[in-house]
Amino acid sequence: MEFTNTTKVFTCIQCGKCTGGCPESGRTPLNVRLIVRKNQFGAQVKNSHLWYCTSCGTCTVRCPRDVKPSEVIFDMRSTLVESGDISTSIQKALENTFLQKNPWGRARSKRAEWAEKSGVAIKHISDTLEKRLLLSCCVHAYDPRCHVIPVNISKLLTYSGIEFGILGEEECCCGNEIRRIGEKGLFEELREENISNFNRYDVREILTLSPHCMNTLKKEYNLPKLKVYHYTQLLWDMIREGVVKIGKDYKKRVAYHDPCFLGKQNGIFEEPRYILKSIEGLELLEFSRSRENSLCCEGGGGRMFYEVEVQYERNAKIRVEEAYELGVQTIVVSCPFCLMTLEEQAVEKGIEVKDISEILVEVLE
Amino acid sequence: MMEKNVLVIGGGIAGISAALELVECGIKVTLVEINPSIGGRMIQLDKTFPTLDCSTCTLSPKMVEVALNKNIELLTLAKPIFVEKKENRFTVKILKKARYVDEKKCTGCGNCFSGCPVYMKSEFNMGLGERKAVYIPFPQAIPNKATIDKRESRPCKANCIQACPINTNVPGYLRLIRDRKPKEAYILIRSTNPLPSTCARVCYAPCEDVCNRGDMDYPIAIRHLKRFAVDNFTIEDLPIPVIQKNEKKVAIIGAGPAGLACAHDLAVKGYNVTVFEAETEPGGMLRYAIPEYRLPKSELRREIQYIRKLGVEFKCNTKIGQDIGLPEIIRQFNAVFIAVGAQKPLKLNIEGEKLDGVLGGIDFLKMVHRGEKVEVGKRCVVIGGGNTAVDCARVALRLGAQDVKIVYRRSREEMPASEEEIDDLIEEGVKIEFLTSPKRFIGRNGKVSEIECVRMELGEPEKDGRRKPIEIVGSNFMMPVDTVIVAVGQIPDTSFIEGSELSTEDNGTLKVDNKTKMTSLPGVFAGGDVVTGPKFVVDAIAHGKKAAINIDRYLRGEELQTFEEEKITQKLTKDEILFLKEKFGRETKVRVPKLEAQDRKKNFFEVMKGYNEGEAILEAQRCLASKIEGCIECGECDKRCEVKAINHEMKDEIIEKDFDALIVATGFDIFDPSDKKEYGYGKYNNVITSIEFERLSSVTGPTGGDIVINGKIPKRFFFIQCVGSRDNQIGARFCSRVCCMYTAKHATIVKDRIKDSKVYVSYIDMRAYGKGYEEFYKSVQEEGVIYIRGIPGEVIEGRDGLIVRVEDILSGELREIEVDVVVLACGIRPKKEIFELSRITNLELDEYGFVKTESHSSSITSVQGIFVCGMAEGPKDIPDTVAQAGEAVASCLEYLL
Repeated sequence: MEFTNTTKVFTCIQCGKCTGGCPESGRTPLNVRLIVRKNQFGAQVKNSHLWYCTSCGTCTVRCPRDVKPSEVIFDMRSTLVESGDISTSIQKALENTFLQKNPWGRARSKRAEWAEKSGVAIKHISDTLEKRLLLSCCVHAYDPRCHVIPVNISKLLTYSGIEFGILGEEECCCGNEIRRIGEKGLFEELREENISNFNRYDVREILTLSPHCMNTLKKEYNLPKLKVYHYTQLLWDMIREGVVKIGKDYKKRVAYHDPCFLGKQNGIFEEPRYILKSIEGLELLEFSRSRENSLCCEGGGGRMFYEVEVQYERNAKIRVEEAYELGVQTIVVSCPFCLMTLEEQAVEKGIEVKDISEILVEVLE
Repeated sequence: MMEKNVLVIGGGIAGISAALELVECGIKVTLVEINPSIGGRMIQLDKTFPTLDCSTCTLSPKMVEVALNKNIELLTLAKPIFVEKKENRFTVKILKKARYVDEKKCTGCGNCFSGCPVYMKSEFNMGLGERKAVYIPFPQAIPNKATIDKRESRPCKANCIQACPINTNVPGYLRLIRDRKPKEAYILIRSTNPLPSTCARVCYAPCEDVCNRGDMDYPIAIRHLKRFAVDNFTIEDLPIPVIQKNEKKVAIIGAGPAGLACAHDLAVKGYNVTVFEAETEPGGMLRYAIPEYRLPKSELRREIQYIRKLGVEFKCNTKIGQDIGLPEIIRQFNAVFIAVGAQKPLKLNIEGEKLDGVLGGIDFLKMVHRGEKVEVGKRCVVIGGGNTAVDCARVALRLGAQDVKIVYRRSREEMPASEEEIDDLIEEGVKIEFLTSPKRFIGRNGKVSEIECVRMELGEPEKDGRRKPIEIVGSNFMMPVDTVIVAVGQIPDTSFIEGSELSTEDNGTLKVDNKTKMTSLPGVFAGGDVVTGPKFVVDAIAHGKKAAINIDRYLRGEELQTFEEEKITQKLTKDEILFLKEKFGRETKVRVPKLEAQDRKKNFFEVMKGYNEGEAILEAQRCLASKIEGCIECGECDKRCEVKAINHEMKDEIIEKDFDALIVATGFDIFDPSDKKEYGYGKYNNVITSIEFERLSSVTGPTGGDIVINGKIPKRFFFIQCVGSRDNQIGARFCSRVCCMYTAKHATIVKDRIKDSKVYVSYIDMRAYGKGYEEFYKSVQEEGVIYIRGIPGEVIEGRDGLIVRVEDILSGELREIEVDVVVLACGIRPKKEIFELSRITNLELDEYGFVKTESHSSSITSVQGIFVCGMAEGPKDIPDTVAQAGEAVASCLEYLL
């Protein structure tokens, strides 16, 4: 496709730092630097190349000239979306989101199905005093594997006497992935619907369960008065202040995998580690690529909703292999996408992948 | 023309060049430098670009010129803190930090730092090497004077040093242990103690009693930490010092701790020392009284063996007054030291003391340690409450006695034996009959079979403060025994002095001048238990050492030194305790490992076990003196400085002076790449910065110029340029100008030194401007250095090194290159201190912090009369810096004249 970016592509000095740090370069045809270069000329870029980007943000975080190469890619995808020059699976995900407010097209009425499993009474946000909204991701809402995460968090909050509410059927996709797929119009619609919900119920703070939702709410929603945070931040506060007490040990070798949207894009590295370190018996190991240099699981940027053209060795597999060599028994994550991608690879190696809330629930007094 | 004064701020190549040119023009210069030496960054460089001249060789003559020029006043460790401009004069207050070394006296000999126990990272070597807390940053330093890096005052009073009879530098060796330098700790201990292994086991540790940490929670386990240092040193590897022998002969009578210490110190001083010993082996009470389970004989023998190696001759089985007379010894030798100890056991003077089976405490221990067969029977009673009594009881237990009792006439509180020993004894199953005294021993067939005892109660305190035991009338009872050991004290056996001019005190000890350790006979000295009555090992060592000092003085015809015995120890005040508790918190003493009672009571295995490294470090770091950065004021430097230049009381001063103009040459900082996480600096120890590479390749560096990383010569190098330059992420959008060329220089140095090396350099744009630079670039390429257009995205761990992920932009391919070292060509940053200087001078800075100058002249700043040169103005190389210094001087002269 042909595309001309109006803003920063011309200041690119073609240093190649983006390509050098990109988790997809080398194994897939994606070359971020080259895409930016071609943009400077308005030259042709092969459509399929754009869909390898996982929106991990490494290029944008590190670019010395602030070119924001990943944004260039989203802009280019957006042109493709507008012209309809996209695969049917992407098409389908976008349509689903438009209709049912989730990319899988599952019924909106079943959005809060997980709440029934929780065993605790969960209020609608309108029935709460503190107006603390627990916002689940579409994955939490519809994927049975991920139900456990909102369930655990709800239990932890309820037992600790921390009030919260949910939107139930009114909850709708945050649009983080939709924006990265390039459907800017749909993103705007989702954003508006969400904001009007927040306003209607006078929401004061949002407890997000997915780093992806947190990212877009914080950075792309323009809600300066609303406090948005990730559940690991709240959980650590609860442990530090003694609101929840860890009473059992967890005698396993554990490695924490930093999600791109929580770690390198939003700088939250310590809280999940503090939580794990406060558990007796748990041996916390580190991947050689951790924190700012964490290896992307390839679940972002819409990659959950389509298959790329070329088959190659997945990062999740590389990650699991490293864990295996380290002697890790449990890979701990704090993002539903990472949970899904890593678990798929880990099963055959006999390594379990757990959300941090799953471990916490096991060791509570 | 009126004399003009100019202040040059910064002693790097820019400031040095400016100062030297100014004095050429008849201007008086004050040069202030914040560091202990001038030289700046240039002196850290290995070679200069592009001529590859030695940087030190180029700069040091200029530094020397600065030092020698009478018109340059050099103030180091100094910085301006206040500048006021009035009319055409600047009034400047300069803060001169205390050096704690008198610059006028210091000769730069280096004795002070050889002894200093505080190791710190060397700033000159970018932390790759170490220096001491008292140091000269590099051999060519100007001024070549030592500096003490004192950052905070020591939280404790270091009573330990005072309390130790031989003034062991306890905080010093504890710091060395904390810093994982047990060998150095041993050497420091040894510098005052010839029997460290012995003291590490049996010293009564008066240091621990007065340790200020004890005011807070628990005293440091000092003796046990000494044991750790000893355990980690092989005395057989200890080199023999260079000894300048003389002809004088000294006789030492008695090979106990006093005699051994004296012999050691005199032998080191070059005397011919002969030690006479009555027993078959040297060691005195250490060998024949202290049981094996406290001090293994093998350990003692090793320490004595070293003294033998110093040339000391031992004549054993030679008892004074029996095998050889004192007058004969005096005749044969130039000086004599009498240290025969206190060998005669005191008697109870009660009925039955002559019966078989009644033994003197010290006699019993000697018999056992000579290897004689001693029958103790089933029931053994030891009379007494001192360490000898405890030793006797525990030895009797180990010899097979089933029921061992101690009979002591006072209560546990008054018992003179050490707490720890009493605890161990009770643990092993020995019972103590407190407040009990023997009345008489009753025998059967000439052998003791019963003791008649009486109970006591405590009355009024006696002279020594202990309460007087009084018999309870009618409380007599009988105690059946097989053996009685009477360990109620010893006195010296001084029969050998008969017929000489020597005399004894009323208590039977030998009379000496306590302050000099000399007897009434000139050249005859005495010390240890024979003078003091039974005391501790370290007291005897102290006597031996003092006698050695005065024997040396006596033989050289010098006046004798007088030794004062007074100890000043200070407790912490309540406020200090509160403050320290707040700051450091409570830290329990690390448990001293020992054999369990059931595993030790039937054998002579050593009871105490050594700390392992982790335990030792944990315990050593509890020392309050170990908690501070920099100098701990242990006094080791002071002790070694021959010109008495050390002055710990020195204060910072403020010098106020007027100047006609100022030249700012404060230089630059180097970008710290720790925040560029993608390159792993700080995470991987084979990712280094360019300035670290300079130090590594420099002959004055920590490896002497060998490029060695983690003990290996690396073969594959990757240089990443533009780290911290041209980077919006860190707010440095400028090009640092020097990195392309210094990296080319580094690449060529690697190629030159490591013949089969593979070198990659990655770049965004090559900037090789001007004369000779492009040619240099080409010659580096000709050497086979591979230049890659493209900046690596990240450095990750590989199987056999680091993997650099970089797109080779010219081919559009991502390369993952495995290398041994990654060198980050870090950019130039404004000097941290420039912001404060700008504030006090109103000097305008640019958006980064470089000094703003007029567009038509790069040395004229926003303040009239203040000029700038070098990196303070912006990134530039050395030739440009020198040129700009010239320009600044020219502009300054134009302004002044």
